[in-house]
This record gives sequence, C-alpha cells and structure tokens, in this order.
Amino acid sequence: MKATFFPGCLIPIKYPQFEVAVRRTLPRLDIEIVDLDGFTCCPDPIFFQASDKLGWLTMAGRNLAVAEAAGHDVFTICSGCTSTLCEANHILRTDEALRARVNRRLARIGKEYRGTIEVRHVVALLRHRVGLDVLRQSVTRPLTGVRVALHYGCHLLKPSAIMRVDDPDEPMILHQLVEAIGAEPVKHDERFLCCGKACTDPDLPLEMTATVLRSVKRTEADCMGMICPTCFSSFDTGQLLIARKTGEHLEVPPVYYFQLLGLAQGLSPDEVGLTRHRIRPVALLEKIGNPVK
Amino acid sequence: MPDADKHRPADPTEREPEPIEINRQARQRLLAILGSGGVSYCYQCGACVGDCPSARFYPGFNPREIMLTALLGGIDRLIAPDSVIWQCSNCYNCYERCPQDVRPVEVIIALKNLARLESDPPPQVRGVYETILKTGRSAPVIGTLDRKRESLGLPPLSRIDVAEITAILAPDDDEAEEGARKDAGPSAPEESA
Repeated sequence: MKATFFPGCLIPIKYPQFEVAVRRTLPRLDIEIVDLDGFTCCPDPIFFQASDKLGWLTMAGRNLAVAEAAGHDVFTICSGCTSTLCEANHILRTDEALRARVNRRLARIGKEYRGTIEVRHVVALLRHRVGLDVLRQSVTRPLTGVRVALHYGCHLLKPSAIMRVDDPDEPMILHQLVEAIGAEPVKHDERFLCCGKACTDPDLPLEMTATVLRSVKRTEADCMGMICPTCFSSFDTGQLLIARKTGEHLEVPPVYYFQLLGLAQGLSPDEVGLTRHRIRPVALLEKIGNPVK
Repeated sequence: MPDADKHRPADPTEREPEPIEINRQARQRLLAILGSGGVSYCYQCGACVGDCPSARFYPGFNPREIMLTALLGGIDRLIAPDSVIWQCSNCYNCYERCPQDVRPVEVIIALKNLARLESDPPPQVRGVYETILKTGRSAPVIGTLDRKRESLGLPPLSRIDVAEITAILAPDDDEAEEGARKDAGPSAPEESA
C-alpha cells in the first residue's frame, strides 16, 4: 500500500529519531512511504488557528491540495497535524461556501482543494488499514513483560465525530497496537488528562503534566507510551521543568509508540533513538536485554 | 414570589443584584468571526465544566462562564491581554460533552482570533504565528539540522516556498471591501461566518 507521508514540523526538527522509527518500521508492514515536495506546517492547530482561523484553513487546504495531486491517502505522525488536516478536510468537504472561499485563495497559486483523499494518524492507518495480524507478523522480538502506560493525548480522538478513530471515553486502539507487539498495555488513572501545552500560564501546564506523571508512576509501568510529539515534549522536558521548580524527580520515561514497534521488529535501542532521551527508559531496556551501560 | 422564598429568613447582607448589561454590538463582533456561531445556542447547563482540565487546575477558568460573558457581549474583557481564554487547553472535551453543539473550544478560538485583530495576544502565541508566516514551519530550523538528519539516514527537510504562503494568506478582496464598509459607518450585522 502506498501512502503519502506528512512529516509536520516538530518530529523532523526536534525529534528526528521518531521519524527514523516510523521510516524503518512501516516498510515491514507493506506500507510504501511516498515523500512529496511542497508541504508546509499543517499549520499548528493551537496558536496558528487561534491567530487566523481562515488562514489556518487555507494553509491546511493547500497541504491537502498538494497531497491530492499525488493521489494517495495521507498519514501523519503527530496528533497536531492530524487534528488540523482531518478537521480542515472535514470542514472543506461539508461547507461549500468556505470551500469556495478557500479555493479562491488557492487559485492565486494555481492550486485547488477537491476533497479526494483521506488523512489518518499513522496509528489509525495501522489499526484500520493494515490490521493487527500484519503488525503481529512483523514482530521478531516480542516485548514480553514490558508494561506500557498509555497516554492517548487529545487530538487523535477528539472531536470524535470528525476524527472517527475510536471512542474517546474508552479508547482501545493503542492498547491493541501495544498488545500486538507483545507488550502489556497499562491504564493509568489520569489517562484522559490533557498535557496542558496550549495553556499560556507558566504553572498550569506543569501542574497538569505532573498530575499525569504521578498517575503513571503509581502503575509502576516500565515506560509511558504516546503518539504525539507535543505530549512527548510535555512529559520529557516537562519533567526537568518540574524537578527544577519543585524538586520532584518523577523519572517516568516517555517513549513514542514507533520506537517500541522498532524494538519489536528487531531494531536496536540506539537505532530508534531510545538511548538519547532525557529520561532514560532503564527498565524497558533491561527487559529487552539491552541494559544501559 | 415563589413559595419557598416566603419561608426564607431575611439576610441582612443580601444586596440587590447588579443589573446585567447586554452589549449586542460587541457580541456581533464575535459572531462575525469564523467558528463562533455555536455560542448562541448555549443554555448554560455546565456540561462543559465538569470535564474541563483547565477548570480543574485553574480556578478562574470556567467555559460556561466564558460562554455567558460572550453571550452578554462582554467581549472586551474576554479579549484583554490577561484574559482567561488563553488558559483553554484545546482538549476538545467540551466539544464532546456539549448537548447543544455549542463547541465552546471553537468559540474560545474565535475569541482568540478577535484578540489578534483588536487586542494583544500573549507573546508565545504571536511567536508561533509569526514563525509560521516567515518560514512555513512552527519550529525554528538550526543550521546543523540537515547534517544531523543525514547522520540518521533521513532525507533533508523539503524546501518551502514562503511566497506561496504569503499569497494565500493575504486578505480576500471582499474582506477589504467589508473593512471599507465598516469604516464608512454601521451596517447590518453579519449572521454568517
């Protein structure tokens, strides 16, 4: 299956090791990654949408038009990109007046949004298009005994009527993807709490993040699994900020799902970037037989 | 007077409530912004509050109260630089819960759009917005990135033609006309987004 890769900004720039994990794991699931020229920021669903909503819709429409020209459905690797492109695709398909307005703008650069392709977060591509059997068959080193506390984040699932990925009150998709690679998914009490990244108050995001991290810590999971670079940044860099501010050292290692999938497909911790995290996933690396030296 | 009130002892500290002011013109300024329309259907049930992470951790933040203030036309307060709207986490729980399809988060996003037009958004918001306008990306790219990506076996970042972004983000001709009409004097309120 061919699928167009929408890389976004945060992962290719800040967390390129996540991109490595995606690019090395998908071919083993018979997904042929199509790279296109011409994509910009999705753009950012939080602060850009908050600044110029019509401009947000227009830039997203332009990205969708670039993808439409290549003809394949798009996969994203960031929940923010997913939110912008799925919502924009929905709005532009259902609101004719807005579509006409956006297309008048796109005509200035010789482009047109037509609404001919679907956009999915890569985990939805795996669960709904590739299927769990193919995923299981790609595993050469099951992550037996590894306990992963899952944090879905907000924008994979909501608004559910637009995203159509899973029930936002009882999601199973990541649990199934974690089970398929031999690991044990773990529910934590604050699994629905937002990381707070969008809040501009200096303390509020840290309070939300710390609440989530304490909840994960209580489960004694080996790591915290997620699919969004903004969540990752909140729970990774956020732990350093919390320690600096309050002296509380939570030591909960966040990991991106495709790093785990890479390990399960036989890639080394170094190849998927796990040795470069600020909060080292010590217990995880021990359980797969690659203890931290 | 309802029966229950007859038996209520007089409270010497009770004062007459302040009269409520409604500013319809200010509300129209909000309703002209894309995505704000749901606010008109808010019946103040509070379903948005119970599941709101910002309300849980930031006592001044209450999406029901923001909807009420917007309905009454207290727009200037809501778009002031220190407004609570900037503490919305954009989690979309209120969008899921609202029985009236108000989409409080979208109303708050519309208020933020109005803040950029008429007030002063927080520096981090302006920062991301301007970085995207200037570079087409939300995160700054440092000079060594392509070398780092190459060492990881990744292709270089694709080139972005910023002139295309500038072209499609320029205001529409009819927007410019609308602006001129507003400058010329009051006109009928626009109902559609």
